[in-house]
Amino acid sequence: MLGLVVRRLLQLPLIVLVIYTLTLALAWAIPGNPLENPEGRQPKPEVIAAMKRQYNLDSFPRFYASYLASATGFDYARDLLTGEIAREREKAEAAGEPPRQRYVFDFGPSLEYEDWTVNEIVRDSLPVSITLGSIAILIALGVGTFAGIVGAVKPNSLADLATLVVALVGISLPSFVIGTVLLLVFPVWLGLGEVGSSAGPQDMLLPAITLSLPFAAYIARLTRMGMIEALSTDYVRTARAKGVAERVVLLRHALKNAFLPVLSYLGPAAALAMTGSFIVERVFNVPGMGQHFVNGVQNKDLFLIIGVVLVFATMLVLFNLAVDVLYRWVDPRIA
Amino acid sequence: MVKLLAPVLLLALVVAATMVSDRPLPRADFAFVNRGDVSTLDLQKMSWMQDLRVARMVFEGLVENDVFTQGYDVVPAVAERWDISGDGLTYTFHLRDNAKWTNGSPVTAHDFVYSWRRAILPDTAADYTKLFQLIKGAPEFADWRQAQLDAFPDRRFESDEARREAAEALWAETEAKFAEMVRLRALDDRTLEVELKQPTPYFLDLLAFAVFYPVYPPLVRQYESIDPATGLLKVAFGWTKPPHLVSNGPFELTTWRFKRDMFFERNPYYWNPDKLDVDTVLIPSINDPNAAVLAYETGVVDWVSDVTPAYRADMLADKAAFYEENRELVDRLQAEGLDQFEIDRRLPDDPRKNIHAVPAFATYWYNFNCLPTLPDGTPNPFADARVRRAFAMAIDKHAIVEDVMRLGNPVARTLIPRDSIGGYASPDGLESLGDATTEAERADIVRRAKALLSEAGYPSPDDLPTITILFNKDAGHDLIAQVVQKNWQENLGVDVRLEQKEIKVFRDDLKEQNFMVSRAGWYGDYGDPTTFLDINRKDDGNNDRKYHGVRYEELLDEAAVELDSERRMALLGEAERIIMEEDLPMVPLFHYVTIYLFDPDRVSGLNPHPRTTQNMFLIDLLDDGKGRDEARAMRPASAAGSQ
Repeated sequence: MLGLVVRRLLQLPLIVLVIYTLTLALAWAIPGNPLENPEGRQPKPEVIAAMKRQYNLDSFPRFYASYLASATGFDYARDLLTGEIAREREKAEAAGEPPRQRYVFDFGPSLEYEDWTVNEIVRDSLPVSITLGSIAILIALGVGTFAGIVGAVKPNSLADLATLVVALVGISLPSFVIGTVLLLVFPVWLGLGEVGSSAGPQDMLLPAITLSLPFAAYIARLTRMGMIEALSTDYVRTARAKGVAERVVLLRHALKNAFLPVLSYLGPAAALAMTGSFIVERVFNVPGMGQHFVNGVQNKDLFLIIGVVLVFATMLVLFNLAVDVLYRWVDPRIA
Repeated sequence: MVKLLAPVLLLALVVAATMVSDRPLPRADFAFVNRGDVSTLDLQKMSWMQDLRVARMVFEGLVENDVFTQGYDVVPAVAERWDISGDGLTYTFHLRDNAKWTNGSPVTAHDFVYSWRRAILPDTAADYTKLFQLIKGAPEFADWRQAQLDAFPDRRFESDEARREAAEALWAETEAKFAEMVRLRALDDRTLEVELKQPTPYFLDLLAFAVFYPVYPPLVRQYESIDPATGLLKVAFGWTKPPHLVSNGPFELTTWRFKRDMFFERNPYYWNPDKLDVDTVLIPSINDPNAAVLAYETGVVDWVSDVTPAYRADMLADKAAFYEENRELVDRLQAEGLDQFEIDRRLPDDPRKNIHAVPAFATYWYNFNCLPTLPDGTPNPFADARVRRAFAMAIDKHAIVEDVMRLGNPVARTLIPRDSIGGYASPDGLESLGDATTEAERADIVRRAKALLSEAGYPSPDDLPTITILFNKDAGHDLIAQVVQKNWQENLGVDVRLEQKEIKVFRDDLKEQNFMVSRAGWYGDYGDPTTFLDINRKDDGNNDRKYHGVRYEELLDEAAVELDSERRMALLGEAERIIMEEDLPMVPLFHYVTIYLFDPDRVSGLNPHPRTTQNMFLIDLLDDGKGRDEARAMRPASAAGSQ
């Protein structure tokens, strides 16, 4: 098990480097100048040229190398060793002001949001996305597993048909439709909850339900299939023959095996729920990270695009690793 | 079974941990949806309306506008008084001694010199650097610095260290040059002297604009460094956000979470604490137009500053129906000269009155490319002013406003919105199709337009090439273009093609004059006609039309040195008349409106003036037991003592 973890963690930088290279190449190819604001007043061409030089936006190889140096902590280490960071601190102390924030892994400035670094953007929005995604997956697990069991226990019954229909709706209906309906029903018609607020956990409930539906539907189908298969195995028949209570047969014997496909689906599902919720974030005004990639591409905000992609890629690798570890723990035969 | 629950427990743990670490903010006295997310609070770099609005909450300039007067009177702020020399060139500001930063330090004249220098330096790439070029020596200094920066990257150095030292030496020289060349001086901590290139009657009004407000130098300097590669003064990120930000306005920004919210509390060191009627303000980040309206409906916010969903036209239609139901009372209140918010306040209680269309200091128009040839090298019919006039006359602007926009936008016959600038008399503007009240009048306008085309050498529509209208995607520009297309095809018989492009490509096309006719718009920056008229100067960066009117520029030049305010306004009025009645480099279609959503019985402090500047420190929630609890109303022009 430890070997697996170490091996995967060692692979991580290589995977991230490949993703970085591909993403940067694609992002670089997007037409338009990220320093020009199409709707605002335009800086002079000379100023744009100087800023391009400053951010290394005038040369792909230079940008590639400089971003890598700051994002991997190379620049921080160099400034630490050359005493630059100490000098900055002294300067700040002399003026009686706190020293400016430095990051070890610095993803650079956002070109669109002038006062913000990508690190700050990730710091403020990632916890929101993680909370939203986690609640959504929890709901999906609960609803999906329950529906799957119900469907499997009485296949082709009315209950099974009902879960099938709900699952179909969950998968096929776009989240902006579901989200809008929920918004209309709860805050607008019933007066339950607020719109546009992100003050507390209660504000996460409707977006999390919306986000969870496709996942719940898929989990329901996976559980149903697994359970039907498990319920027809010899060990389940034996357990029933021995007079074990049906609840115990279902939950302890059948579900344990039926749940394995769900478990392997959880890694990518959790990563997707936490990173790919652009539409849900938009409809419910959730200040998560999903929107930043889309906005970054629209504005050709290179630093933001790459920063967000790197965070997403790392999350995906780590979630998959966590699931693999869990998988082996739940079913040691796999190791 | 325990193993099966492990992922659930793990996820529950993650949720619990993030929720515990995420502190909910307290409920604010007043919450509003800003026009968009704040892009920057670096005063000298800002240009967006939402940034400027927040800047006026947390910072304060030498002066401010009294936004409840028709003339937007200039009143003291950090400067308690000022002297203007007889020739109108030298302004001496005397700063109040109790103006303080949020850390308790006094606001000094040196802070203004430092801040304005930031805007003048080309390094900052400030959007409004041009406004600072009114200061004597500023353009020359900016040119000198730019020349140095242009040459720097090509200079050869023996080592990186030598390059770094040279960049820093250049910066030291720049500071010395600024002191020597630019006539902006702190005579002492409390006296600021500025000398202008030429008399500028609107200079005081400009100073109320947030880009002229001061930043706190000891803080910003921590974030400045000289880039050895380019020689540029770089400013790192971070100083504009809590807990670092030091400001001098009525409010202090205490929390700013990216695309989430901004929370403001009273600045304990503000010199005039009685100014505020609320203690806390919240700006949640709500970008979806529907969510903004729902946030108001569900009580999350008290004001939506820019209502943009498609159904806003229906909301305004409901309001119009409400007015109709109360026609007699509305007419009586209007006759009393009350402003539109005050009228709403005096009408019977009804949720329909919470939507408000406020005229904006802005105009939507169509550009005509005025160059002799088109991008493909063929002769450009629009190079002839008669052709431009003919096409301008053949547009039914009322149809655009009533059938497409449906927001109550005023039809525009002038570039500058009427009655938006105290003391300025707008010209009549060119008559166009929508002005006709009968079929005969319409036919006459069309006949005159065709005669103009004939005079210009195009007696038949076939003599004209296919006319292309360029516009960018979204915001309904396509619907407006369709109306204009139909007008020109039906009335002038010409073939019209529509060309829709992405905003960045559209922008490039405008800059390169790669168009025949294109859509455009402009929001005025300050309370003087030149904020609109200057964009038609030959060398102005925003003259996408490449219009050059000799008489027009002469009038603007004459007005620039005219000390008599009345005569100056007359010169500017004549200049506008030339472009709106004779030369028509652009045809104004309508003036913008801004749509607000708030309950006038509950919220006071917002004004319906066309310059749409809202100062949040004037906000008062009526009957909340805090502050004045009295509704503020616009003073009519006669009582305002306008400038």
